Order: sequence, then C-alpha cells, then structure tokens
Amino acid sequence: MKVLETKGLKKTFMVKRKQPGLGGSFRSLWKPEWGEKEAVKGIDLAVEEGETIAFLGPNGAGKSTTIKMLTGILHPTSGEAKVLGYTPWQERGRLAYLIGTVFGQKSQLWYHLPPSDTFELMSRIYELDRDVYLRRKASLIERFDLGPYLNVPVRKLSLGERMRCEIAASFLHGPRLLFLDEPTIGLDVIIKERIRELIAELNREEGTTVFLTSHDAGDIEKLCRRAVVIHHGGIMVDGPVEGLKRDILRYKTVTVRLAGEGRGSGAAVQGLAGTELLEAEEGVLKLSVDLTSTDIETVLSRLMGSIRIADVTIEDPPMEEVIKTLFSRSRDHDSAAGGSFGGEGGGLP
Amino acid sequence: MSTEARKGSLRKGTLPFLLTCWKLNLAGAMEFRLSFFMTAGMMFLNNVIWIVFWGIFFSRFPSVNGWELSDVMMMWAVGTGGFGWASMLFGNFNRIAFITSRGELDVYLTQPKPVLLNVLASRMSLTAIGDFLFGWAIYAYAGDHSLGGLLRYLLALLLAGLIFLFFNVAAGSLAFFIGNAEGIAFQLFNGHLAFTTYPTDIFKGAVRLILFTVIPAGFISYMPIGLLRGWQGDYLLLATGAAALLAAGSIGFFYWGLRRYSSGNMMTMRS
Repeated sequence: MKVLETKGLKKTFMVKRKQPGLGGSFRSLWKPEWGEKEAVKGIDLAVEEGETIAFLGPNGAGKSTTIKMLTGILHPTSGEAKVLGYTPWQERGRLAYLIGTVFGQKSQLWYHLPPSDTFELMSRIYELDRDVYLRRKASLIERFDLGPYLNVPVRKLSLGERMRCEIAASFLHGPRLLFLDEPTIGLDVIIKERIRELIAELNREEGTTVFLTSHDAGDIEKLCRRAVVIHHGGIMVDGPVEGLKRDILRYKTVTVRLAGEGRGSGAAVQGLAGTELLEAEEGVLKLSVDLTSTDIETVLSRLMGSIRIADVTIEDPPMEEVIKTLFSRSRDHDSAAGGSFGGEGGGLP
Repeated sequence: MSTEARKGSLRKGTLPFLLTCWKLNLAGAMEFRLSFFMTAGMMFLNNVIWIVFWGIFFSRFPSVNGWELSDVMMMWAVGTGGFGWASMLFGNFNRIAFITSRGELDVYLTQPKPVLLNVLASRMSLTAIGDFLFGWAIYAYAGDHSLGGLLRYLLALLLAGLIFLFFNVAAGSLAFFIGNAEGIAFQLFNGHLAFTTYPTDIFKGAVRLILFTVIPAGFISYMPIGLLRGWQGDYLLLATGAAALLAAGSIGFFYWGLRRYSSGNMMTMRS
C-alpha cells in the first residue's frame, strides 16, 4: 500500500536580489528586484508502507522544502501529493494525527520544563486515551532509556539526551509515517548509533515508514533500504541503497587475512590491472579492486596462487564515498553546463 | 464512528489541550522563582506609578471633559486586566510577526491542533500576571462592587482582552505579506497599548476616528464611561460588534497569510 505519492510537486520562492554594498541596499529600497527560485522542480515519488527512505542531496537541493510540503507546512506552487490518503496542505490537521516529524533544528520540547511535561502535552495534542498514553510512554521510556532525565528540565540535557527525548515524543502517538530532517545533526558517534538503532527497531516492530533526510552517510547506511537523491530540485537517482553503492562506485575493498607471516605478500598483486594495495600490515592485506578493469575472481586466483590465505572479506565502498562521488559528479555536470552547485541554491529552507 | 473522526472536538480535544498548555506555561513561568516574583511585581509597581501620576493630575484638575480620577482608575483597571488575561492565556499574541519571520510556525503546523490557537496558547507572559493582579486591585479599590458592577467589569475585561488579542494578531500577520514585520507590529502594539491609557474624550476629530477604527484603542479606554457607569446598550453593542469583527477579520487574515508562509532554517526551541 502506498503511504506517499507525489506528482509534479513544485515549489517556487520569490527571492529579492540585491547588489552588494550600501548603494545596492539603497537601490533595493527604492526599486527592489525580485527573482524566482525554483526550490523543488516537479518531484514524482511513491513510497510503500514500511519502507525506509533516505532523501539525499546537497544543501539547497530542495530536501527540506519537499518534507515541508509533504507535512503540510508549505503550500506547493503546483503539483499533487497524497500522504496517507490526505492532501497535506489542505487536510493538514487530519494528517497530523497519523504522521510524526523530527526536525533536527526545531525542537518541540518545552525548553524550561522536563520532557515528561512535554509528553503530557503531546498526549493532549494527539488526544490519546489515558491508558494508551501511559502504556506507550512507559514503553518509550524503557526503549529510549529516558528514565534518568525524564524529570530534568530540557535546558539541562545534553544534545544527545534531548534528541532521544525528541524522537520518543514524536513516536508517542504511534505515527504511521515518520519524517526525520537531519535527526543526528551535531551528535557524537555513539549517540548517533543508538538513535539509528531505535528508529530501525520501531520500523521493524511497528511497521512505521521512515522518510529521512541527512548528510550523514551512516544514517543512510544503517537505517535505509532505499535512497532518493535530489539535486537542483529534481530527482537524480532513486533505488536501493545497496544498488546505489554498486552502481555508483564500481570498486570493492578486499581484505585478506594471511595464514602465515606473509612478509612481502603485497608483491602478489603487483602488476595486476585495476588492483591497488591500500594497506599491508602484519598478516593483513587490504586491496581496492576496480571492477571495470578486472574482476574479483581473477584477483583471488592470483592471491591464492602465491600466498596462504586464512580469511577473505569483500566489501562495498562506504556510503560516504558514494555520496561524495554522486555530488562531485553533479558538480562536474554543473561546471560543464555553466551552472552553480550549492551556491545560489544554498540558503533556502 | 472511528477514533479519527471523533478527534478534534471542543470538549475532548481542544479544552484538555488548552488546560494542559496553560498548566505547563504556568509551571514554566514558575521555574525561575525569583524572576517570577520580580517580573510580575515590577509590572504591578510600574502601573501604580501611572495611577499616582494621574492622582497628582486630578488633584489640580478635578475633571477633564467629564472624566474624573475614578474613571481613569477604572480605565486602567480594564486596560491592565484585559491585557493581563489575554497575555497570560494567549501570551504569543504580540509575537506573531517574530515567530513567523523566524520560521517558528513549523512545529505548530505539524501538530493537529488549530495553528493560531496552538501558537497563542503556547506562551504565558510573566509581566502580564502583574498587570492582571493590578487590574483587580484597582477594581477592588475604585470599582462598583455590586453584582451588576462586577458583571460589567468582567464583560469589560473580556472585550478589552479580545480587542488586544485580535488587533495584535492582525498586526503580527503582516509578516506573511511584508516579510520582516516585527518593527511595524511592535509599533502598532505600542501605539494601541498607549492609547488605551488616556481618556478617550481628550481626543477629537480624526484622531478619535482612528481610535475607533484603525487602532481600536478607543473601545477599551471608553469602557469606564460606556459600560462601567451603567449599562448603555448602544456602546455595548458597538464594542461587542467591534471585538467580533476584529476577531473574525484577524483570524481570516492570519490563515490567508499562512498560505504564503515560507518557513525558514533557523534553529529554534520552544520556551
């Protein structure tokens, strides 16, 4: 069942253009010049229930604007969207009972009060029955391990603790679709990992559809099965995260654990086309294999013929590399076309 | 009937939400005990100084265009009391432009409660507690304590609060149309507030017309004469009509503007 579907969703902002300096400001005061900025250029997207989607793109690509249209915050300039059967900007109130939102930069927790008070307010906002609310709250406190700071004013919590409370609050009403906009921004590695685990757990156990934007490759790799990459307001790539890695970066990392000491074992791959020795430490060789020049079988045959192997691991490149490659490709494309990347496009929500 | 369909009713949805919001606002305000007492207390004292000033003035000129000291005192009782309850229960009413221009409406827009009500009820002004108590203290000192007098004072508080509330909602909603409207909204707020503290009858001609139209402070400052001295059907009807029209107009203006809301990317937090 589709939980989200958009057709030709567009958003254009009017942007005031001003020449630099004080003179430009005076000119702009008397004769302002306006230009149109197409933040989202006709997005077509369909999301099935229970999917975990990474919505990626550089700054200014239109990610947040799209999320804001899908949650009813912004009215689109044109196009259609149905989220759980509702048109977000027309039936925002009814849709809001069914979705959850976490904006990494906009908190819904009460700054001077403890999270428990915000939970109480959320139960009233979403009109939860008392027993449902109490059961749900107890479960989230346990899952997110919120007990120690449930009654501490939010202003005294660390960023990681606050984000855990934030996400727990957004799950309180059991949303069917969760929108997360940069949920791990500014968090340390351990807290990020914990937050990803919790979201993945809720997706598995409650079937919540997750729609995530993030600049953190780890969020995408650990949480999402599908990636949609947008750039300059349009969809550039849409496919499985694993497939994205395979298709975008045509190389694999091969780690070989040697049975013996393996002194000088690096020589085994010397001269082999498409193979680069990344590391040769005690008993371990790490190679990068370019699949457009050779294949894994050839590399392994060469290795097995010249050294004794205890174990072999073949890995896809890390997501970080995939994103870097994707974005640099679009930058190259822009340069060739005389456009800009993340310059003029940046700064819009 | 499904659970979804039942949601959003006044008795089971909006009222419990408002009560919880007000309870939490009060709890948040009391989080800093000293600040709580000092802020509310200072506003009470500030208002006392104005009454002392008017006391000195009327000791030299006992009547100004038919207004006596007791009328001016009741004008302050209505103004501060009305402003007080509106700012205590709907404390964001003079911050709409600020909230809108900073893109802070996002959080309210993702929640299923009416946006304007949710925004307004999400803050309690501490200084307003001092205003509200001051209004009642003046009523206790100079007001009509009969049942009719009390009812008239309560009605005056209600109308004054509504006029403050919706005039400022309309002023703040300009932010949807002209972008950074914090300056103009602040000036309108201050101008409106200032005119409610002077006897209406000292103004004539065009200024008086403005006070009963563009900046509807006259409806509040005229309460001591038009309502508190006794029931005057015409004035009551006029003031009620003005409050209702202002409420409907400003709510419509806000929601019309909301369609143009462009959000923002500033980091924000509820406080």
